[in-house]
Amino acid sequence: MTRSQLELLVLYQDINLMLQETEDEEKGIGFRLEGRERLQQAKDELAKKIEPRFLRSYHRLSTRYKHSIAPVQKDTCLGCFAKLPTSYISKGRDDQSIITCEQCGRILYWIE
Amino acid sequence: MNSTELKDFFQEGFFLKNISSETKSDVLKELVQPLVDRGKIKNARLVLEILNKRETLGSTGIGKGVAIPHCRTLVVSDIHIVVGISKKGIRYDAIDKKEVHLIFLIVAPPQEKSNLYLPILGKIVEMVHDSKTRKALMKAEDFSSFIKAIQGG
Repeated sequence: MTRSQLELLVLYQDINLMLQETEDEEKGIGFRLEGRERLQQAKDELAKKIEPRFLRSYHRLSTRYKHSIAPVQKDTCLGCFAKLPTSYISKGRDDQSIITCEQCGRILYWIE
Repeated sequence: MNSTELKDFFQEGFFLKNISSETKSDVLKELVQPLVDRGKIKNARLVLEILNKRETLGSTGIGKGVAIPHCRTLVVSDIHIVVGISKKGIRYDAIDKKEVHLIFLIVAPPQEKSNLYLPILGKIVEMVHDSKTRKALMKAEDFSSFIKAIQGG
């Protein structure tokens, strides 16, 4: 099944975070992590599938925020806690559209 | 984190005492399904994909019949643990190549207020390293005996 650009961006962010936590997992907990390069390659392959304008936007946001994509719960951006306009809500739930928070600019992902 | 604190993260609805899957990819689907059924996850496909990506980093089959697949993902809002017990065993590509009988799926959001994801992961690893506790967990016939085993019998 084809993944939407938003789903690809969410995966990209999740993999980034996973790569950041490898040291904690390996040294702190004792997992054997021999596949960092493989995961980095998977991330690079994923990046090629994301439209350049969205990837640029993701990286631009990552200079300002720890996470470029913010979850949305109860119609609120959990990045800045702004209530989202009703017009966003019908578009956002299907995981297809790239919508950004009009207050903080983060890419939004509806988790419910 | 101690055992009493850890036990609060387990729920009866997320305790699967008879896992039917025999392979890693199938068991991950079987463990994610209760999270979907109870409305904790909207997009199971994304969670499964990130769990499979985590396996490329190194198997979460830590040996002695135990696996702890885990990930942080934007798709969930809270930490959830789903436990599965398999009598016949799961082919999991574990580090000791043995079949897996006890599996803990942990999914957590990218950020949590109390930052408990790694402490929970570490506590479960520590707990299953104890052979007496591990055997008691594998033998648990119901949720209450499972919780009793976590608390040391």
